[in-house]
Amino acid sequence: MATLQELKNELKALGAEYAKIKDLPADQRADFGKKINLKKQQLNAEIAAAEAAAEQEDVAPLDISAPCDINGQMPEFLTADFGSKHPLMTELDRVIAIYQSMGFDIAESVQLDDEYHMFDSLNFAKGHPARDGYDTFRTEEGFIPPAHTSTMQNRVLKANAHKLKEGKAIAVAVPGRVYRNEDIDATHEHTFYQCEGVYVSEDCTLGNMLAILREFFEKYYGQKLNIKTQPGYFPFTEPSLEFLIEKPASLGGKGDGWLEMLGCGMIHPNVLKAAGIDPTKYQGFAWGGGIDRLIMLRYQLNDIRYLESAKLDFLKEFAC
Amino acid sequence: MLVSLNWLKQGLDKITISDEELVKLIGARLVEVEGVIDNTHKYDKVYAVQVKYCEKIPDTHLSLCKIDDGGVAEDVERDSDGYVQVMCGAPNVHEGMFAAWVAPGAIVPSTFGTDEPFKIGTRKMLGKYDSYGMMAGADEVDLGDDHTGIIELDSSVAEPGKAFADIFNLKDKILDIENKSLTHRPDTFGILGFRREVAGILGQKFTSPEWYLDAKQDFENDKNVKLDIAIDEKLCPRYTALVLESTGAEYPKTISTGATLLARAGMRPIDPVVDATNLCMLTYGQPLHAFDYDKFVAVGGTDSPKIIVRAAKKGEKLELLDGTTVEMTPDDIVITSNDVPVALAGAMGGANTAIDENTKRIILESATFSLYNLRKTQMAHGIFSEAITRFTKGQPAGQTLPVALRCARDLQAYFKPLAAFDTQKEAPEPIVVDLTLGQINGLLGTDFTDKQVKTLLENVEFGVELDGDKISVVAPFWRTDIHIAEDIIEEVGRLSGFDSIKPVLPLHATADPNSLFALKTQIRNILSARGANEVLTYSFVHGGLMAKVGQKPENAYKIVNSISPDLQYVRQSIIPSLLDKSYGNLRAGYGRFALYEMNQVYPKNLGFDDDKTPQGLPQLGFVFVDGKEQSNYYLAKKYLENLLEVLGAKYELGKFTNSATNSYYEPKRSASIVAGNMTIGYLGEIKGSVAKSFKLPRGVAAFELDLTALLALARGAAAKTFRLSNYPSVSRDLTLTVAGDTAYAELEAKIRDALKDYIYKLSPVSIYQADGADTKNVSFHLEFAHPDKTLEKSEIQDIMDTLESIK
Repeated sequence: MATLQELKNELKALGAEYAKIKDLPADQRADFGKKINLKKQQLNAEIAAAEAAAEQEDVAPLDISAPCDINGQMPEFLTADFGSKHPLMTELDRVIAIYQSMGFDIAESVQLDDEYHMFDSLNFAKGHPARDGYDTFRTEEGFIPPAHTSTMQNRVLKANAHKLKEGKAIAVAVPGRVYRNEDIDATHEHTFYQCEGVYVSEDCTLGNMLAILREFFEKYYGQKLNIKTQPGYFPFTEPSLEFLIEKPASLGGKGDGWLEMLGCGMIHPNVLKAAGIDPTKYQGFAWGGGIDRLIMLRYQLNDIRYLESAKLDFLKEFAC
Repeated sequence: MLVSLNWLKQGLDKITISDEELVKLIGARLVEVEGVIDNTHKYDKVYAVQVKYCEKIPDTHLSLCKIDDGGVAEDVERDSDGYVQVMCGAPNVHEGMFAAWVAPGAIVPSTFGTDEPFKIGTRKMLGKYDSYGMMAGADEVDLGDDHTGIIELDSSVAEPGKAFADIFNLKDKILDIENKSLTHRPDTFGILGFRREVAGILGQKFTSPEWYLDAKQDFENDKNVKLDIAIDEKLCPRYTALVLESTGAEYPKTISTGATLLARAGMRPIDPVVDATNLCMLTYGQPLHAFDYDKFVAVGGTDSPKIIVRAAKKGEKLELLDGTTVEMTPDDIVITSNDVPVALAGAMGGANTAIDENTKRIILESATFSLYNLRKTQMAHGIFSEAITRFTKGQPAGQTLPVALRCARDLQAYFKPLAAFDTQKEAPEPIVVDLTLGQINGLLGTDFTDKQVKTLLENVEFGVELDGDKISVVAPFWRTDIHIAEDIIEEVGRLSGFDSIKPVLPLHATADPNSLFALKTQIRNILSARGANEVLTYSFVHGGLMAKVGQKPENAYKIVNSISPDLQYVRQSIIPSLLDKSYGNLRAGYGRFALYEMNQVYPKNLGFDDDKTPQGLPQLGFVFVDGKEQSNYYLAKKYLENLLEVLGAKYELGKFTNSATNSYYEPKRSASIVAGNMTIGYLGEIKGSVAKSFKLPRGVAAFELDLTALLALARGAAAKTFRLSNYPSVSRDLTLTVAGDTAYAELEAKIRDALKDYIYKLSPVSIYQADGADTKNVSFHLEFAHPDKTLEKSEIQDIMDTLESIK
């Protein structure tokens, strides 16, 4: 077998062959060019293989079970003050802990889903313009990195439908990573986190929903809060609302401004039906809001792009 | 969508609350108001004036004018008649005309509210003529794009010195409406529908104009006018066409209130016909289009218009009004004259049938189209006009005829209606929704009476019949969004204000812990407390990144509409993303660090879930990076082993095996992490060539763990048992000299076996091998005690003898 150097020389020599093309009759040039290209591809592949083999030969095996290198130092952990947890994950933990204290089970969202869960099961008519609002990514196979955690509603309802028969309520919070096909800037990310809430029982009301959401934010911000709503539109809830809270004192609120926190509403009968739950017997509500926004507000972060940057300069601000 | 508050208030009963409160109510009960543009002072010091004297200055474009401002302006010089001198360059300035004068000290309205407001003053022109303020063109008063001349005011509305804003009710506030939350409410995309809702939320009873509710044609069809319409009802549920004939009357040169309404909605006046259609669209939410009748007939080669509405053919072309040519697809709907395309339905008319100053007859189109098709048209051709914005909400078919007739009436000074044609022969049955008061109060958590519900709904023109507990609601024709009881319940809640519903907490049960979530929290606590940094990186990666680490692109889901090549594939594992983020941190001055991330990965080889969606894997990826070229294998191993030990997971390090995604590990310096007969992850050094491709020094080490498998292990782990001896423990060092290729694990296992009856602690100290030697010395520090007694010297010696004989 040729050595690596020989192969490299051969490749170099091949370069000179190209120059001969112009001396050939026009009708032979294409064929000649093809042959040289093929040869070049072969040589490159052989060189890559030879290089890989050389790397392998260079490499000494190590004792995978040893605690340290031969004649090497015993490894030590980095110092604890160097470590950090990602603020988004810390925030999710905080959010989840509150929902759990309020009796909500936790189910995590998937990160690659299909049209059925993302739209069809949520009462989006086929081809309806409301689908455009979500700017979804798609894979070649038509799968969708979900654009909202509502993509989990159908699964969560199906998986918990038995509770209704047992006379209990379905109460689940669903945190997850979601994706939107939009250009990023200081306030927009194509990748972010949401948390969904789903509640179904025989007789829950919109008044219950407002109370649960207020309770959550009061626990989260540690103070009593005024709330208000705006009409919204989501195909999977009817009525649909936007939910706002008074700007909390910890964020510099002085009883004036309002913060839009999430979208919510009473679950559309078709959504319950799609999950095999009889909408004439049961009713429910659902909501979804961004986690990134909570962090942006909490830390007065001026650029959302830090969150997925993996920059230690940023992360070490959150040393534990 | 922009909505003029003044326009909105016309036709409503007197409003007793402030504008601010009104806007708040609209925000709480109808639609998100993104902003309010306050134009109250936009036209301050702009007055109607009459040009009393006008003389062209030779060899210039300027005229010297004297204007009568009724004496309202201050700080200006006046001639003996009390007139003010203004120089004007507009060709249409003439004696006797009424114009809009921007007096000295006024902000030019088109610059009002911008970053650079321009204050007009007094200038000397041509070196000798004082010019006070200026007479404004349509563009300068922000009522159009026209800059060819100054605007002319009708003498019936203008009088010298009258505030310009008062003539057209321009002391206005413009609401900037977020369209998204009205996606399902086509009726609110006209001021009439918007106003009806505002009446409803104010508790006022609203009544639509008679002609809107029940269209009556107030002219006989001219028997000589023929027109055929053929539609595909799936694409075009209703098509109404009116034929109008020019009366020969000249278009006025003066500016109209209608033009100012168009401007307030962000549109531009063009000519009376287009303006009338646009104004009808803004007022009633029904887009209209005017074709030149004679061109239409000529294009189709017919004697009378033959309108055929059909799906476009693939590749069919049409030049539009704006001069661009579109190539259509079968998703587009096309209006044809005897099969020759003349308009891209809902989007724009064709150049071949455009009206112009010679137009004698008009075909006025008022139709509805499939919003699904138009949505595709909008996306495919990038047309986002006011018309298509409305059409894609699904305009109600019930209003095509009334609005067309209304537009004809608005145009009657210039065009006379000859005939009306309509594909709808009978109005469809209205939608009726039956529900109970209990359903309403049961879903909202309210205690409305049936009378209250009836009033709320009737205020916005629903028909309501009460029969015991039953409420029967008839939706007016424009409420195409009403289908089920919940739609009515939403109306009741919204119109009365969701904010007036009392929040009441339901009783709650206890929650089940989510073990995977808890495991991740625990891992985070362990790793970060040992100096590692948790990161989050994108789920999508560049094809080049996979090539660098040797992952096969065929094994990755490919995003077809990615934002950039950087985000084209769904990642197969976490480690490559961490390697990718390491160099930047080295360069930022961090010499040694550990990064980790826990997230889902979706390599194709995992197959599909029970619900036929791709199977994901929750994975922990960890890398240890050192700026110096040295092996970090044992550092990564220390983190891994400590983590697994704290979690109580039983595992072994076994011979490294290749998987579909782990091509970046150096096989000779890596291990598989095995539990039972299952591989739950990998630990190892990253291949030198791979590290180099990330500009990282050789020796970067990593591990990855399948978190689902780890969860099963950690859950199955027996609770950790502690045994402490109450007797003194012995501290000894032990050095074993063994063959150079002896695995450390074998030695340790033998020591543990020898000490199994004692309570002991084992710590490796060093591994030493002299240059060229074929043996190595492995040293340990040991502490051991007997569980039940103090060890005798001889017993200790026996133990040490056994240990030292280990080979």
